[in-house]
Amino acid sequence: MTIPNELAARLMRRAFLGQAGVGFGSIALGSMLARDLAAKESSEAITAKYEGLRGFPHHAPKAKRVIFLSMSGGPSHLETFDYKPTLEKMSGEPMPASYTEGQPIAQLQGKELRCQGPMTKFGRYGENGQYISDFLPWTAKIADDICIVRSMVTEQINHDPANTFMNTGTAISGRPSMGSWINYGLGSESENLPGFVVLTSTGGRNPQPIASRQWSAGFLPSRFQGVEFNATGDPVHYVRPPKGVTLDQQRQLVSAIQQLNAHRNELVRNPEIDTRTAAYEMAFRMQSSVPELMDISEEPAETLDMYGAKPGDGSFASNCLLARRLAERGVRFIHLYHRGWDHHGGLVRYMGVCCKLTDQPVWALITDLKQRGMLDDTLVVWGGEFGRTPMYQGKGGVGRDHHIKGFSMWLAGGGVQGGITHGATDELGYNSVDKIVHVRDLHATMLHLLGIDHSRFHVKFQGLDSKLTGVEEAHVVKEILA
Amino acid sequence: MVLFPRGRVAIAFAVILGLTSHVLPEAGASDAIDFNRDIRPILSENCFYCHGPDANHREADLRLDQFAGATADLGGYQAIVPGDPAKSELVARIMTDDDDLLMPPVDSGKKLTKRQVDLLRRWVADGAKWSEPWAYVTPKRHPSPRTRDSRWPRNWVDRFVLGRLEKEGLSPSPEADRVTLIRRLTFDLTGLPPKPEEVDDFVNDRDPGAYERLVDRLLASPHFGERMAIYWLDLVRFADTVGYHGDQDHAITPYRDYVIEAFNANMPFDQFTREQLAGDLLPNPTLAQRVATGYNRLLQTTHEGGLQPKEYRAIYAADRVRNVSGVWLGATVGCAQCHDHKYDPYTMKDFYALSAFFADVNDEAHFRNGTNTLPARRDPEIWVFEDDENRAKLQHWEGKVKSLEAEFKRLTPPKPKNAPKNWKPEPLPAGSPTRAKLETIKGKLKTAKRVRDDLMKIGRRTMVTVATEPRTTRILPRGNWLDETGEVVLPAVPEFMGKIGDDSSSRASRLDLAYWLMSPEEGVGGLTARVFANRFWYLFFGTGIAKVLDDFGGQGEPPVQPELLDNLAIEFLESGWDVKRLVKLLVMSQAYRQGSVAPESLRSKDPYNQLVGRQSRYRLPAEMVRDNALAISGLLVDQVGGSSAKPYQPAGYYRHLNFPTRTYSHHSDQRQWRRGLYIHWQRQFLHPMLKAFDAPSREECTAQRPRSNTPVAALTLLNDPTFVEASRAFAERIVREGGSTPESRLDFAFRHAVSRSPDEYEAATLTRLLETSRKLYQDEPKDAAELVATGLTPVPNDLDQADLAAWTMVARAILNLSETITRN
Repeated sequence: MTIPNELAARLMRRAFLGQAGVGFGSIALGSMLARDLAAKESSEAITAKYEGLRGFPHHAPKAKRVIFLSMSGGPSHLETFDYKPTLEKMSGEPMPASYTEGQPIAQLQGKELRCQGPMTKFGRYGENGQYISDFLPWTAKIADDICIVRSMVTEQINHDPANTFMNTGTAISGRPSMGSWINYGLGSESENLPGFVVLTSTGGRNPQPIASRQWSAGFLPSRFQGVEFNATGDPVHYVRPPKGVTLDQQRQLVSAIQQLNAHRNELVRNPEIDTRTAAYEMAFRMQSSVPELMDISEEPAETLDMYGAKPGDGSFASNCLLARRLAERGVRFIHLYHRGWDHHGGLVRYMGVCCKLTDQPVWALITDLKQRGMLDDTLVVWGGEFGRTPMYQGKGGVGRDHHIKGFSMWLAGGGVQGGITHGATDELGYNSVDKIVHVRDLHATMLHLLGIDHSRFHVKFQGLDSKLTGVEEAHVVKEILA
Repeated sequence: MVLFPRGRVAIAFAVILGLTSHVLPEAGASDAIDFNRDIRPILSENCFYCHGPDANHREADLRLDQFAGATADLGGYQAIVPGDPAKSELVARIMTDDDDLLMPPVDSGKKLTKRQVDLLRRWVADGAKWSEPWAYVTPKRHPSPRTRDSRWPRNWVDRFVLGRLEKEGLSPSPEADRVTLIRRLTFDLTGLPPKPEEVDDFVNDRDPGAYERLVDRLLASPHFGERMAIYWLDLVRFADTVGYHGDQDHAITPYRDYVIEAFNANMPFDQFTREQLAGDLLPNPTLAQRVATGYNRLLQTTHEGGLQPKEYRAIYAADRVRNVSGVWLGATVGCAQCHDHKYDPYTMKDFYALSAFFADVNDEAHFRNGTNTLPARRDPEIWVFEDDENRAKLQHWEGKVKSLEAEFKRLTPPKPKNAPKNWKPEPLPAGSPTRAKLETIKGKLKTAKRVRDDLMKIGRRTMVTVATEPRTTRILPRGNWLDETGEVVLPAVPEFMGKIGDDSSSRASRLDLAYWLMSPEEGVGGLTARVFANRFWYLFFGTGIAKVLDDFGGQGEPPVQPELLDNLAIEFLESGWDVKRLVKLLVMSQAYRQGSVAPESLRSKDPYNQLVGRQSRYRLPAEMVRDNALAISGLLVDQVGGSSAKPYQPAGYYRHLNFPTRTYSHHSDQRQWRRGLYIHWQRQFLHPMLKAFDAPSREECTAQRPRSNTPVAALTLLNDPTFVEASRAFAERIVREGGSTPESRLDFAFRHAVSRSPDEYEAATLTRLLETSRKLYQDEPKDAAELVATGLTPVPNDLDQADLAAWTMVARAILNLSETITRN
């Protein structure tokens, strides 16, 4: 189906942000939000494809898109990338109170605190000999592609607020997720797909819940919200025509609606109807583009094997392959969640499960992107919402509690130096002490790689210039840039 | 009025008078400058962040939000010398070419436009006249302006609207046709579409009193309360689930019924406020007043294992301050959690003192009791029944169960101290009197429990407020809950707004706060009245007189018509907070009755329709999109009140919820077709249909929903089974009741959906869709059977299925029309 040529031309001619002299994001949104909020009666309309803010990007970007691999629940840094021989020696001894006094503690509140040494062996991999644990043999193979940051800190110690903090830069509900921010700033490269797509998988310890707030557009217009694609059922809610209606019939129906609306509009002259025409057009295109995208059975067998993906299984492996397909189709922000990493107990067993489900697919994703020449402009980020305590917790076998003062993440591609390790925690793996990277520094760095100066990317909300990086100072981590 | 107890009322009054002479949205080159309209927004946006109310973040010791600060001696020079731009450092610094001196600083990302620089310079030259923030100036009644056209205005509201339009050289739009009027009124006052016979009655009733009779009928409808509740529930963030982590259900639906009933009974708005904030503190509170106190329990809570009570006490306190200030004061006091407010005169101390009013709300049971249960245990809760008799019965049977259990325990041998885990009492010898007695009690207990459980099934639990010993409230330095060094504060209202009562030693209560919020003499009733007058205006005209509905502070926007807003506030106050009266005043006006189709010239001059030279048009709110389709199809179940309803929802939508895991089962009874405001409101996974049409998750106060227009909304209206089922039910109606010809049927369909007959083009387009579809379905009877079986509604077996399926396609087209889902 096509929109009448004349209307299509008119829609394309109209700049998304209208005619006002727009210098900064904040001013742009002022008019845009107002327009969405008030009865939108100015002469602008929304094109199916949004081109981003005027003046964006601020500088030449290294990364065009982001694939964010959220290891939800909080994987232990002490069993992945942060090798602590001193902690090993002190295993079983009381945790020195100098570390823990006055610090926030989650489930270990009021309990005796003892050191728990690493529960696996580490090897050194790649040209620079980066420490990677035996839980991650496949990640070890891409050691030269990833930049390990061992000095992360965050501010929230419970899952829900910590995920919200990682995604929005604050624990207060109602703020936009980073995927929404980035799409709002840079616009979409796809005419058939939303710019912010979320995929989830399970496996591991009883998975933590994950709220749709994590991909909310917050106070940004709702078209920037993350759209969750589902492995089973409808890939996107209501994307399939009802039972008993073919795609052809659906096209006839949408055509009739468009014609009737256009006819009515000759009388009432409502720009909102033009916008609706564009929305129905995109909706119709999604009815074929989304199922086509989600069907990975057409991929060659060797690709499926490389990821360990089986069509339709909803696994992290399949989601990694889908991430590549979404990246190829111009989706700006692709967010994967694997939700089994909350290892209060049975850590060795559940690390085994989680790593088995995620390690190879992550290797495959990086390798596949590299082979296709896409890793250069795709930023891949791996990590949880926090790390885990150097202290023992025994909730069904040996495990660790939530920990926010030091944990590890890694970044790859998109302008990041591979093969390096950045920052360090103290000898017990408790506090980040060297080259500390706060969550807002991570955000600033991601935005920088995308060509955005985080300090100039703000939106007026409740009177304040709200930023993804928040009100405190944030710094681009220059040392890890390629 | 004690808003400005230090004698600032006189200044305040002068400001308002000053405003009456300015009519343009902003000052042109030749107009006199108005501080609040023209200057404060520039200073607030560009200067207050560093030179504003926040003492800890003030640069160069310069404060520009007050006249005294701006004109203070800074060591031989002043930022502003009234009347002398050449001597004013501020003017020099905004006009300099030197980037090191320029204000705002280059690295702030802020930059003044040439027009703004000119305005500031002219304002200083004119004497730098200052005025208090408009929102905190007591509203006063203003005389209606004289208008050139004396026939157009129907009431004083119209005289203000017309006076302003005339000054702008604009004319109001002609009155809308009667069909549009009844559609607009019915949607606005009940959230439902008018029935065709209601439209006919109104169109044919040429009596001059017809319009008012229609308004009165709609105001008296039980659906008026439902419509108003949709708005109120957004403000107070009403939802069926706790919000954080496991997002478990909690018990609160009787509160929603309370809100609906309060609006239907036209409860005075001050009473409505008092009952919600402090119904438990009223003398001998009624059941309804206790239910109303559910307000204090509506916030998000967590039941996550590993939560730290101190942390969540701080989170809950902040949540309550954000809500109470957003709802009643139109203020963002939440910004003062970590530092003094950057733009408004709220201090950190104000924030914590305001939170202290709620320090007595018993809300800690869930820190101790089991987590992860469904529903969450959120004592204190009470039972609510439709009638008092059952409540008394339940009380009786609960007591009975308790006493029987006690008696049973008394008669059973006690458990020895060192008893093994699986210890059971030795069975008493058969025929022993004790054993016989125990058997009798057992039987009685079984009956008592059954009766009790049956009663519980027809009753509902609801969270209420119970006052306890107030928790100590401290200022948390930088909002850090781990830091206990801050000053202890007692309940108090923001300092610059005055105080509650005299300096007596008794601790101010939530009830005191409620009185203070609503009293024009001893509190901020004038401000509250203005906040709500503005919101009612928004509900019936589509945009606020002051555009930002939840921020009347420096970063909001001053009202376009301050005198009109003042008079509406006074009207609301003087009527004794009579909501229906205020609503009637607005919808009876000629301004309300205008058409919404406006010439391009008017639309470009006033894109947001703040001058009201026309009516606004916009897509219906999410709940009404649903209600409208159900009403048109005849499926709507319009029972008022009750527990929440679960309509069809995509399978697996709750799969990310845990503790416990959730499976959603839609209701298979009448609840399936209830109105949108009763839909189960899952904060973390709001029903996708509500979400697609911009209903908020209700995590925070929402005074104004966005009105988006997205592909996801299009997919929902096209394919959500609720709308497909409504289409096939509508199709059945069309076929049965719409006569026998395609023409008469299309006429029937259009009159039900959009209250008019189709024109030739529309009829032809739909006839084509009908015929193509019918042919296809005749060839594919299986498809036809599938389509007409969507949903739970029984499939008619006496109708031709291919024909019904074809009409279903037509009905789908009609339910998707812009016109169908637009209020204009």
